Amino acid sequence: MANKKNKHSRRQFFSKTVPVAIGTIGGVGLVAQSCQQANNDEEKISLLSADGQLVEVNKSALTKVPYKPVPPDEARKGIPGKHFVMVVDLARCRNARKCVKSCDHHHQLTPDRPFIKVLRMQDNKTSAPYWMPKKCFHCDNPPCVKVCPVGATYKRSDGLVLIDNERCIGCRFCMAACPYSARVFNWGEPKHQDGDRPYSPETSIPSQVGTVEKCDFCPDMLRQNKVPHCITACPNGALYFGDRNADSVTNGSETVRLSTLLKDKAGYRYHEELGTEPNVYYLPPVDRSFPFKEAPEGQPS
Amino acid sequence: MKSLYKHILIIGLVVIIAAGNVFAQKNKKKTTRISVEYVKDHNKTETLVAKLRVKEKRYISLNDAIVKFYSVSDTSVLLDKIRTNKDGEAIFVIGDNPKIFKDSLGFMAFEVEYDGSTSLKGSNKKIAVKQSNLEVSFFQKDTIKFIEVEANEIGGNNQTSPVKGLKVLFYVKGTFSLFNFAKEKTDNKGKIKIEFPVTMPGDTNGELTIVAKVEEDDIYGTVESMGEINWGIPVPLVKEKQRGLGDTDAPLWMVYTLITLLSAVWFHYLYVIFMIIKIKLAKRSF
Amino acid sequence: MKLDQKSSKMLAYFTSQMVKISKPGMVWLAIAFVFILGGLYALIVQIIEGHIVTGMRDNVVWGIFIANFIFFIGISYAGALISGILHLLRVEWRTPIIRIAEIITVISTLIGPAYILLCMGRLDRLHHLALFGRIQSPIIWDVLAITTYLIGSIIFLYLASIRDLAALRDYPFKSKWRNKVYKILAVDFNGTPKQNRYLDRSLDIMSAIIIPLAVLVHSVLAWIFGMTLRPGWHSTIFAPYFVIAAVFSGTGVLIIAMWVFRKYYKLESYITKIHFNYLGIILMILGALYAYFTFSEYLTSWYGSETWEMEVLYKLFNPNEYWWWFFFAAIIGVVLPIIVILIPKFRNINSITAVSAIAVLALWVKRYLIIIPTLEAPLLPLQDMRPEYIHYTPTLIEWLLTFAGVALFCMLFFLFSKFLPILPVVKADEGNYAQLRKTAMKRVIKRKVKETEKKESEKIKDL
Ligand code: SF4
Repeated sequence: MANKKNKHSRRQFFSKTVPVAIGTIGGVGLVAQSCQQANNDEEKISLLSADGQLVEVNKSALTKVPYKPVPPDEARKGIPGKHFVMVVDLARCRNARKCVKSCDHHHQLTPDRPFIKVLRMQDNKTSAPYWMPKKCFHCDNPPCVKVCPVGATYKRSDGLVLIDNERCIGCRFCMAACPYSARVFNWGEPKHQDGDRPYSPETSIPSQVGTVEKCDFCPDMLRQNKVPHCITACPNGALYFGDRNADSVTNGSETVRLSTLLKDKAGYRYHEELGTEPNVYYLPPVDRSFPFKEAPEGQPS
Repeated sequence: MKSLYKHILIIGLVVIIAAGNVFAQKNKKKTTRISVEYVKDHNKTETLVAKLRVKEKRYISLNDAIVKFYSVSDTSVLLDKIRTNKDGEAIFVIGDNPKIFKDSLGFMAFEVEYDGSTSLKGSNKKIAVKQSNLEVSFFQKDTIKFIEVEANEIGGNNQTSPVKGLKVLFYVKGTFSLFNFAKEKTDNKGKIKIEFPVTMPGDTNGELTIVAKVEEDDIYGTVESMGEINWGIPVPLVKEKQRGLGDTDAPLWMVYTLITLLSAVWFHYLYVIFMIIKIKLAKRSF
Repeated sequence: MKLDQKSSKMLAYFTSQMVKISKPGMVWLAIAFVFILGGLYALIVQIIEGHIVTGMRDNVVWGIFIANFIFFIGISYAGALISGILHLLRVEWRTPIIRIAEIITVISTLIGPAYILLCMGRLDRLHHLALFGRIQSPIIWDVLAITTYLIGSIIFLYLASIRDLAALRDYPFKSKWRNKVYKILAVDFNGTPKQNRYLDRSLDIMSAIIIPLAVLVHSVLAWIFGMTLRPGWHSTIFAPYFVIAAVFSGTGVLIIAMWVFRKYYKLESYITKIHFNYLGIILMILGALYAYFTFSEYLTSWYGSETWEMEVLYKLFNPNEYWWWFFFAAIIGVVLPIIVILIPKFRNINSITAVSAIAVLALWVKRYLIIIPTLEAPLLPLQDMRPEYIHYTPTLIEWLLTFAGVALFCMLFFLFSKFLPILPVVKADEGNYAQLRKTAMKRVIKRKVKETEKKESEKIKDL
C-alpha cells in the first residue's frame, strides 16, 4: 500500500513539474507564484493569459459554479419529458477523432480504452469505405439491460442506458450481450482519475476496478441543457444530438428537425434487424464532404 | 539516478523552447481583435457583449483581460471596465445608466477598448445602436393559426414608431438550441404575420415557445422576444414499460414459473428432510 | 445394523483402507496440494491486481474460467442422470458405481460455481445478487438452479449413504471421532422395515427430482449464451446440446473415476468389465447423440451462411486458428470413443477408459471453442492495434487456477473415499419392502378372485 502511494505521488510530481517549469521560464514575475503552486496540491490547467503568457491556473478557479452530479439513486430516473437521440452524418466524418479526444478528456479516460470508436467500414468489396463514429447506441430494447443480474445497467425514461458502477458486480454479461461492443471493462486499477469527485452514473467518474463502463451521452451536460461534449467537438458538424420528443436535433451550429433530416437523408439505424431499437441514427455516406483517406499508420482505434 | 537525468533533460528542453518563445514575443506583439454586439434579450435586458480574441495560428479567445466600455458623443465617457470570461467575452449591462448619451434620433454610440499588454497589441471598436421593441403575439383566424410580431423603435424623446423592412427570424425553442422555421421582413406598420408551424411537437400540453429575433442588425443590434402557446402537437408522456425484460420487475409469467418450479423442488426437499426425521424417530418401532 | 456376511467382509476391507493412506495416495495428495497452492497464489495475484492478469480483454470478456465452469457443471451429470436414472429403473448392475457417480456430482457442483466467482470483477459485491437480483437475467436463473441442484445432490448422496453410515457407526474404529461423526449422520438408522420404507421412498423422490433438475441446470447454463445475440451462441438447440454434452462428459469422468478407484483400492471383483461395458455403451450412445447435435448446429449455420455466423465458422475451420482444436473436440473426441466401443474387439477396460479420457478432454476443448471464437468475432469490425484485444490466450494465472480446480476435484474425491466406502457396502434392503408389497398384492388378488367367484356363482344361480 505504501509503495502504491509512493508511485502515485511521483507521477503527480512529474506531471506538475513540467508545466511549472514552463511557467517559471516564461516570466520572472511568475517565479514566486509558481514556487507556491508547486506546494499547492490543486490541479492546474495551462492557459493563455491576458499578457500572452502561458500560465498555470488552479482548476477550481476556472469552474466557477462546479456542477454537482446527481447521486446514483436519482440518476435512475430520466429527465422528464425527453427522449434523447443522436444522428451521425457519415458523409461528414473524415476521421478527425476530435469527438474521441473530447470524450476521453471529459470522462477522464486513457486513450487505450475510449468510449467512442471511429471505425473504418466497408460494406462490401465494391462499395466505398467510410468512417463510422460509434458510441453506445442507447437502445430502446437494450440487450445489456435485460441480462444484467443486479440492475447495475438500466434504461431510463429519457432513453439513456446508464451504468451504476457502485452496483456492478463485474460479471461482464452485458459486454457479451451487447452486439455493438459498446462497453469497456476496468480490467485493472483505472489510471489518471479524479478520485475525489462524488461518483455519479451521470458522469461515469470515477471509474472502479472490476466494473464496466461505456458512453453515457453526458447526462450531466443534458441536465444543464447542453449537448454532449463530442457533439460540439466535431469540427465538421457530423454529429447531431437532440430530443426525439421535440423532433429537433442540433450539431452545435445548425438545428434541424429530426424527422425531416432522417427523411431527406434516408437515415437508418445500425443493424435494425437485431431489434435493439438504437437511439443513434446514421445518415448514409453519400455526397461526402471529404474524400475518404486511410488512417495514418499506428492510429489507435 | 536515471530519472534525475530524465528530469534534467526535460527541463533543459523546456528552457530552450521557452527561451525561443520569449524572443519571439519580444520581436513582435501579437494582434488582438475585439468585436462588440448590442443584445436585447427577451427579458428586455440590454447588454453590450465584447468579444476579445488574439491571433495565434487562428484567432483564439482571450480570457481574463480588461475591456473598457465607453459611451461616445463629442467626448467619450468611461462606463465600466470588465474582465473577459473564459470564452473571451466581457458583458456590460446597459440598464438606465445616466452616463449613456442618446442623440436626438435615439442613437446610442459605444466604444470598447482593449489596451494591450507587453506582448499583445491593443484594439478597439465602435458601434451605434437604436433601441427597439419586439412583441410576439398569437391569433387565430378561421382555422388558421398565426404568429404576429410587431417591431417599434424608440426615438430620441422616447416616442415609439414602427420599423419597416426589418428582418425577423422565427424559432421554436428546443432543449439545446433554437429551431429556425421562418424568416420575414416587417411591413409598413412594422408588423409580420406568419402561419404557426402547426406540425411542431410541444410538451405534454402542446406548449411551445416561439422566439422572434432580429439578428445583428446594423441599427438595432440583436433583439429577441418570446411567446408561449399550446398550439404544438402534444407529446404524451411515454408510459414506462412495466415488468419487461429490461425493467426492474420481471414479467409476471416469469415470476410465477420460477416460483412454481422452485417451490415444487424445495417442497420435495423438505419432504425428504421430514422423512429423515421420521427415520430418526422410527428407530424403536418393531 | 445387522449385516450379512458378504457386506461385513466388504466393510472390514473398506474400513481398513479408509484409515490409512498408501504411498501412491500420499504422492497423489502431495501433487494435488502443490497445484492447489499454485492456484491459491494465482488467486491472490488476481485479487490484488484485478482481472488485468488474465488474458481476458474487452472483446473476449469470458475465458477459460467460464469453460471450466461449464465443464465442471457438465461432469456433475454423472451422478444426477446416471445414478438417478439407473436407480429409478432399478438397474441391477448400478450398485457398485452409483456412489462414485454421486460423489462426482457433489464435488463438481461445488467446484464449478467457484469459476464463476473467479470470473466476477467484484467478488466483494456478491451480496448484490441477493439485494438487487433481477430474475430476468439468466445469471440469476443459474444461481438459483445451481444452488438448488447442489443441495439436491447433497441430499441424494446423503440418503444413499445412510445405510453405510449406520454400518460404519457400529464398526469399532480406533479413532473415536469417526464413530461420533457417523453416529450423528446415521440418524439412528437400524434397518427396521419402517426406516427402510422411509429411506427408499426418499431415495425414489430424490432420484426422480434430480433428473429434471439436472436437465434444467444445464439448460439454464446454455441459455446464458443462447439469450445473447451472438453467432454460435444464439441458437435454439443450445439447451439440449449442452445437456447431451454434459451427460457425455459426466459419463466419461465416471468411467475414469471407476478405473482409478478400481486400481487404487483393488476393486476388481466389484467393478468388473460388465460395468465398463455398460457405461461404455451409454457413452457411445451419448456420443452419437452429441455428434448429431454438433452436426446439426454447424450444418445449419454453415448452410445459412449469414456473414456474422460465417465469421465464427471461418475461425473454427481455419487451420491457422481453431481448426485442429475443433477437429479434436468435435470429431476425434466423439468418433474415436464410438468406434472403440462399437467394435467388440477393441472393447476392454483400459481402452474404454482411454477413450473416455479423450472424450472428456475433447469436451473441455469444445467448451473453449464455444466461448472464445464467438467473442473474437464481434458484429462490428475489430479494429484494435493490440494483439491481446484481438486474440485471447489464457495467462499463467488462468491455467494455474484451472489446474488447481482439477487438483481440488481429485483431492476432495480422494479424501471423500477415506470417509465413506467408495462402493455402497450395505445392500439396499429391498426385501422387506418388496415383501410388504407382495402381501398387499396377494390380498388384492384374493379379493378379485373372490369377487369373480361370487359373480359366477350368481350367474349360475340366475341360470
Ligand atoms: S458487468 Fe455489471 S453492468 Fe454488466 S451485467 Fe454484470 S453486473 Fe450488470
